[in-house]
Amino acid sequence: MNESENMTRDVAAPVRDNAEVEAALNRRYEAGFVTDIESTSLPPGLSEDIVRQLSAIKQEPEWMTEWRLAAYRHWLTMPEPDWAKLDIAPIDYQAVSYYSAPKAGPKSLDEVDPKLLETYEKLGVPLHERARLAGVAVDAVFDSVSVGTTFRKELAEAGVIFCSMSEAIREHGDLVRQYLGSVVPTGDNYFAALNSAVFSDGSFVFIPKGVRCPMELSTYFRINAINTGQFERTLIVAEDDAYVSYLEGCTAPMRDENQLHAAVVELVALERAQIKYSTVQNWYPGDENGVGGIYNFVTKRGDCRGADSKISWTQVETGSAITWKYPSCVLRGDRSVGEFYSVALTHHRQQADTGTKMIHIGKGTKSKIVAKGISAGRSSNSYRGLVKIEKGADGARNYTQCDSLLIGKKCGAHTFPYMEVKNPNAIVEHEATTSKISDDQLFYCLSRGIGEEDAVSMIVDGFCKQVFRELPMEFAVEAKKLLEVSLEGAVG
Amino acid sequence: MSNAPSPFVRAALDAAATLPSTGIAWLDAARAENLDAFAVTGLPEGRDEAWKYTPLRALSQRGFALADRAAAVAAIVDPALYALPGVDGGRVVFVDGAFRADLSSLDADGVEWTPLSGALSTHPEPLRFALANRYRRAAADAFAHLNAALSTDGLVLRISEGVALAKPLHIVHVSSGVQGDSAWHVRVLVEIGKYASAEIVEHFVSAGAAAQLGTLVSDVVAGEGARLGLVVVQDASVATTLVRRSHVRLDERAEVTLHALELGGALVRHEVSAELVGDGARFDSRGVFALSGRQHADTQLEIRHNARNTASDALWRGIADGRSRGVFRGAIVVSEGADGTDASLSNKNLLLSGQAEIDTKPELEIYADEVKAAHGATIGQLDERSLFYLRSRGIPLVQARSLLTLAFCRAVFESLPNEALREHLGELLVAHLPTSPAAE
Repeated sequence: MNESENMTRDVAAPVRDNAEVEAALNRRYEAGFVTDIESTSLPPGLSEDIVRQLSAIKQEPEWMTEWRLAAYRHWLTMPEPDWAKLDIAPIDYQAVSYYSAPKAGPKSLDEVDPKLLETYEKLGVPLHERARLAGVAVDAVFDSVSVGTTFRKELAEAGVIFCSMSEAIREHGDLVRQYLGSVVPTGDNYFAALNSAVFSDGSFVFIPKGVRCPMELSTYFRINAINTGQFERTLIVAEDDAYVSYLEGCTAPMRDENQLHAAVVELVALERAQIKYSTVQNWYPGDENGVGGIYNFVTKRGDCRGADSKISWTQVETGSAITWKYPSCVLRGDRSVGEFYSVALTHHRQQADTGTKMIHIGKGTKSKIVAKGISAGRSSNSYRGLVKIEKGADGARNYTQCDSLLIGKKCGAHTFPYMEVKNPNAIVEHEATTSKISDDQLFYCLSRGIGEEDAVSMIVDGFCKQVFRELPMEFAVEAKKLLEVSLEGAVG
Repeated sequence: MSNAPSPFVRAALDAAATLPSTGIAWLDAARAENLDAFAVTGLPEGRDEAWKYTPLRALSQRGFALADRAAAVAAIVDPALYALPGVDGGRVVFVDGAFRADLSSLDADGVEWTPLSGALSTHPEPLRFALANRYRRAAADAFAHLNAALSTDGLVLRISEGVALAKPLHIVHVSSGVQGDSAWHVRVLVEIGKYASAEIVEHFVSAGAAAQLGTLVSDVVAGEGARLGLVVVQDASVATTLVRRSHVRLDERAEVTLHALELGGALVRHEVSAELVGDGARFDSRGVFALSGRQHADTQLEIRHNARNTASDALWRGIADGRSRGVFRGAIVVSEGADGTDASLSNKNLLLSGQAEIDTKPELEIYADEVKAAHGATIGQLDERSLFYLRSRGIPLVQARSLLTLAFCRAVFESLPNEALREHLGELLVAHLPTSPAAE
């Protein structure tokens, strides 16, 4: 399997309209279809052997195989974390297949299985079209391998490297080796260790010194095969004065079994570099009774290594049966800035324990956290965050705001912020509120002839505005639609 | 959890072996159970979320024998040590954990009280539920087990239905200072009858600088429509280790207000859990800690709204100077069905030194939707502009700082109705405030 090597860089563009984006988002969980294409998978189970095989399939250099094995051995010694406010049915790591790829290895983007392309179109990501119209370069990951990367030529001219992680390991080995695991070490936590051992693909982005990435980069993840886990690994490096905005979207088919998704995302911002990372996560959440759905255990961390650098996380989390995710910023460089904007919506029996960590190390570092949680049905939605000011972080500043909205009597909304301050010149502020949609607001809308569901979605939209504002435009539209879909049937 | 018991655990086991049987089968059994539970878990470790910011490694290396009862009863204690203006409605004094009849005098209509030691020797049965059952319920907390296993004295206090006490009651815990590294464990049971009202001041002082360990577990029940003002003044010596745990139950329309002033101690942990089980109950809490040197104070506040139309308001302030560490956790839990809850919590902290640390964790856990809940927390320092303003008016820096610091925690005592006591606590606080300009 050597699919990405032969991919064409030139992209033809059969025109399709974007109506399907809306169609895909308009009903319950429309992304819940299964694409019937043959795939190659490793047998279920996890052992050193599987790790070696995986590494061999991907034709990785020796150092990478060793790196994976070290992570695997470390993982074996670690206990599963249980501190989150989540009720997780035991996971059988031996029942998961750690590699699955579409069988017909595409020779070029034009040869990519039409069914597969159709899948993306259903999801609203027509690789060719949408990319060109929106000027977004898309790297789509299907199960475990990257099936096509668009706009490579344009990016290459700017000096930007944007390719699948497998390809990066083969072709930009030195760069990958220098940065991989430098933000999230292999033994960082249970799921990061697992990911380090078995990650199958992901995206690699490198923006060289002084380059402002000419377009927004985007990845679309999809879990298709049954009993597979998706373990993607993303690494974004922005050198001095570089800028990049990266978008990520995810879906999975409806299945009754829980599927595992354990990703690691590492961001490195050198001096004055800026990285903006936006996620719309719409993994299959399971049905009303909590059957099925994705277990989403993600480690995302950005390292502001250089002075005056900035990393900004924006996430809209509407999917997954269980979300365990804390995109963080290590503010090492003086005056570096970390931001976290989040909307997490849970419905039915979904559970989310999500938030952020802001670790202030450099002088004059600043961070801002805006987290909005919406719980409906019988779901449980927790914000968990840490703001830590180290001794040397003179003049550090943090502002945190978390608001929760409850829709219904059976759901839970929780806030667990941790603040640890060791510097007397720092200022840390936290505010949180919890309430339901006010009857007054609802009544006002109804009296103006707005239906109840529309009114609720309008109010929810207003509640989330602060976060949506941070999203790139198309994503903001998608996010808004997703919320409407996810909240269907929550009121009344 | 290491295999070999720590010196702390070993000493506790040795101490338990010196205790004679109470002669009450269920009590002996409860003690033994708690001792076993304590021996198994040992002191909480850093991995224990509830003790994340209060490491007990140093404490676990120390062993405490039980304070000698005879010595405690004989110790000479100057009553001036614990005199509090405005608190004159009768007094119960414990020295090194032992009840002191000679120093106690409490005679008010509608107030029934006995030292726990006395109650157990005459009428133990009514206490069975409180002592034997709660112990089990308190499972998983090492200090509650320890207290249950080793406490031999305490207080049983009951205020009769409808009685309104005009004057505040004073419960004093004195560390005599004559007994070195010893431990005392006290158990307190308070019941405020329906529609009764009272003010109770719990007061911790030290006569010397002995490095004692004290644990206090108290259960307070505020009956229907009862009103209770609870004031805690902790002014123990800076060598003291103090672990207090109070559980307050509020029945229908009961109102309890807590004011806490935390000044002394080397290592102090104060856990307050209020459970609003009756509709319309209200629990307000205010507190401040002022730390310096190497002091460590940890306040754990948990407010559970389990009934309809309940309210709570919490206002806590912390000041850490020197190499001290202040820890605060304030959790508001609104249970399913607790509609109409109105809860708010504010925690503000001043970090005055580069060697000090503040860790705070306000939490909301909400399972009902007809709810208003909010919390806010800050960690910062005195406002430079305010300081500048005061200095420009000719007020020296030291005084300006102390003035602003006092202003910062003033709100905590503003709602205390007992004016004489309020004034006094203000002065006590000022005396503890850091006077040296920290980072000039």
